[in-house]
Amino acid sequence: MEVTVQLNHAQRELTVKIVYYGPGLSGKTTNLQMIHQRTLPEVRGRLLTVETHDDRTLFFDLLPVFFSTASGFKVKVKLFTVPGQVIHNATRRIVLQGADAVAFIADSRRSAAPENNAYWKNLVENMRENGLDPAQVPVVIQYNKRDLPDTKTDAEIEETRKKGKEPVVGAIAIRGVGVLETLFSVLQVAYRNIDERAGLSKNIGLTEREFLTQVFNNIDTSGTELEKVFPPRKGQGSATS
Amino acid sequence: MRQGESVLQRKITLGDLLDTESFTEVVKGFVELYRVGIKVFDDKGSKLADIKIGNGDFCGYVFSFPEGRRRCTATVGRVKDGPVALSHGARLPVVESDLEPMAKGMVTVSCFTGLRYLILPIRWEGDVLGRVVFGPFLPEDLKDFPPASLTEIADGLDVGNSRALVEKVRRAPESTIARVMLHFGQLLQTMLFAGQKMFLTTQLHIEATLEQNRDLEERNRKLEDANVRLKELDRMKSAFLATVSHELRTPLTSIIGYSEMLAEGLAGALNDEQVDYVRTIMEKGETLLKLISSILDISQIEAGKVRLNFEPMDAQELVSSSVSSVKPQATKKGVSLEAKMPSTMPQVLGDRDRLRQVVVNLLANAVKFTPKGGKVSATLTEVMHQPDLNAPGYRIIIEDSGVGIAADQFDKIFQSFYQVDSSSTREYGGAGIGLAIVKSFVEGHGGVVRVASEVGHGSRFTLILPVTPSLQTQVQITPPVTALQVPVDDRF
Repeated sequence: MEVTVQLNHAQRELTVKIVYYGPGLSGKTTNLQMIHQRTLPEVRGRLLTVETHDDRTLFFDLLPVFFSTASGFKVKVKLFTVPGQVIHNATRRIVLQGADAVAFIADSRRSAAPENNAYWKNLVENMRENGLDPAQVPVVIQYNKRDLPDTKTDAEIEETRKKGKEPVVGAIAIRGVGVLETLFSVLQVAYRNIDERAGLSKNIGLTEREFLTQVFNNIDTSGTELEKVFPPRKGQGSATS
Repeated sequence: MRQGESVLQRKITLGDLLDTESFTEVVKGFVELYRVGIKVFDDKGSKLADIKIGNGDFCGYVFSFPEGRRRCTATVGRVKDGPVALSHGARLPVVESDLEPMAKGMVTVSCFTGLRYLILPIRWEGDVLGRVVFGPFLPEDLKDFPPASLTEIADGLDVGNSRALVEKVRRAPESTIARVMLHFGQLLQTMLFAGQKMFLTTQLHIEATLEQNRDLEERNRKLEDANVRLKELDRMKSAFLATVSHELRTPLTSIIGYSEMLAEGLAGALNDEQVDYVRTIMEKGETLLKLISSILDISQIEAGKVRLNFEPMDAQELVSSSVSSVKPQATKKGVSLEAKMPSTMPQVLGDRDRLRQVVVNLLANAVKFTPKGGKVSATLTEVMHQPDLNAPGYRIIIEDSGVGIAADQFDKIFQSFYQVDSSSTREYGGAGIGLAIVKSFVEGHGGVVRVASEVGHGSRFTLILPVTPSLQTQVQITPPVTALQVPVDDRF
C-alpha cells in the first residue's frame, strides 16, 4: 500500500488530508462553510470553492487549517469536499487521492438510502482505484438533515452503526448541528491512522490530545457538544453570527 | 493505475499563483502611485517583480566606488536572501499602533547610505511563499545626510552630488511606507487567492480529463476482451453444431436408404400396410435430413467456414429450375406458382448452388404460408443500376398472397432460430433458420434482402444481387457485456 502520510521531517511539516465524501446535495460544502465560519482567521485560509451556476460543486472545496506544535512542527489540515454529481467521478477519485480519513456525509431521509449506498460503493471502488486499502482508511459517517421529514429514526441509525466499525454522527449541517462533532471524530480517526503508521507521538512528540486541542482551541465550540472539552475563548461567540 | 500525483498533493509556489505579467502591471501601478520601489521574490529567491524608481542615479554613483559596490552588494543580498527575522541587522519597523497586528513579521533593514528597506513575508496557509521588499526610501527621521557609513567609503565621494542625487529618492516616514506596504500585502493576498482558485481548477480540470480518458480506455480494453471471448465462444458453439449435425446425418442417410430398399421390396415383398409404414419412415427421415442440413449450413456460416464459389451462371435457369423444384408442393397444396422472366438476361457471376438454395427456400416458405387457392410468383428483373448496391445488378422477387408478416418482425425473421409464432401449438413447422441462411448467402454475394409485407395480404421478398459480386467478409456484432463488479454490502 502506498504511504499516504505526508510527514516531512526535513521541513518539520505534517500534512493531514480529510475528504468529505457523499452523494450530491448531502451537505458536504455546507459542513466546510460552517467550519470556516467558526474558525479563527489566524489558523485557517480562505474557503476555496468553485461552483456551477446552480450552486453545485464543480471540482472541490478546500479549507486549510494550520498550526505549529509545541515542538515546533508545522501541521496543515486540509479539508476537501468532492463534487457529488455522478458525472464527476474522475474528479472525485483525484480529490480522494492520499486521504488520511474520510467524512461520509449521508442524507438521513429514507428515500436517500439507495443513493447513500451507491456512493458508499463508489467510495470503496475509488479508494481501490487509487491504491488505497479501504480497510486502512478510516471513515466517519455523518447522518445529515436530521430535521427533515421522513428521516431514519435514531433506532434505525443505531442499527446502521452496528453494521460497521465507523463512528456515526447525527447532524443538521445548515444550522451547524453536528458539524464540529463530525470534524472532531474524523480528525481523531485520522490522527490515529497516521500515528499508527508514522508514530506521531513517538517521532515528533505530537499527541492526539495536542493535535485536537491545537485545532479546536481556535474554533468556536459554543453550543456544541465540544464546548465543555474545548471552551470557546472570550468574544468568540460572535463568529457564529 | 493512476498517473502521477495530483496538483492537490503538491506544494504550491508563488509562481503557480501569480500571473507574472499582470502582477507586474499591478506592482508598476503601485510604484508609480507611491514612488517607492517594489521587489517580490519567491522562497527560492527567484524574482517575480522588480520595479525601481528614483534611486537609480544615487545608487549608481555609490556603486561606482569599490567599497560602495561591496557594501551595496551585501545590503542587497541581506534584503533578498537574508532571513525575514530580527537578525542580521534587521529590526522591527515603525508602524502606527492600529496596524501592529497586521505588520507581524515585517522587518526594517537599513542601508549604509542611510536609505532604508522594508521586508514583508508572503504568508499563505501557514507557509511563507516569499517576500515583498519596499525601498529604498529616504526615511524622514534621518537627520544627517550623508551619514559617516557613506562618506567613509571613499575620500573622493562628492557630498554635494550625493545630496542632489538622493533628492530623487522618495522621502517619507517609515510608518507611511509600512502602511502602503501592508496595503499592498492585502492586495497580494486577494490576488493569491484568485490565482490559487484559477491554478487549482485549471490543473484539476486537466487531471480530471486525463483520468476520464484513462477510464474510457480501460473500459474499451475490457469490452474488447469480452468481445474476443464471446467470438471464441460463438465459434465453438458453431463448431459443435457442425460436428453434431454431421454425426446425425450419417446414420440418418442409412435409415432412409434402408427404408427405401425395404419399400422397393429388395428384401422381399411387403404388404400394403408395411409399405405405407416404411414410406412414412422415409418421408419423416427426409424431413429430418433437410432440417439437419439447414442447421449444418447455418452453423457453418456462423463458424465462418462457408466459402462462396463465384462462377458465370444463367440467372433465368436458376429461377426456372427453382420454381420447378417447388412445383410439386404447390400443386399438392392448390397454390398457383409462376415464373416471370425478362426478355434478355446476360450471364452473371454467382454461386449457383447457394443462390438456388436461397430461391428454393423463399419459394418453399411462400408456398408454406399461402393457403389453398393463393398465388406465388418468382420474378427475375433485367440488369440495371441498383441504388442499394451502387452497382449494376438484378433482382429476384418472390411474392405470395399468404398470411403476411407484421412490420415489427421484419428484422427478427432473419435471425437464426427465430419464429414469428414460437408457441408449441403453432400452425407452421420448421426450425426458423431458412431466412438466416438466405440473408447470409445473399450478403455473401454483396447483395441485400428486402422484405415488404402486410398481415393477411401476403409478403414480398426482394433479393438485390450484383452482376459481379466482390468477396466480402461478414461483420459480426457481438453484444457488449458488463464487467464483473466486486460486490459491496449495503451500508445504509
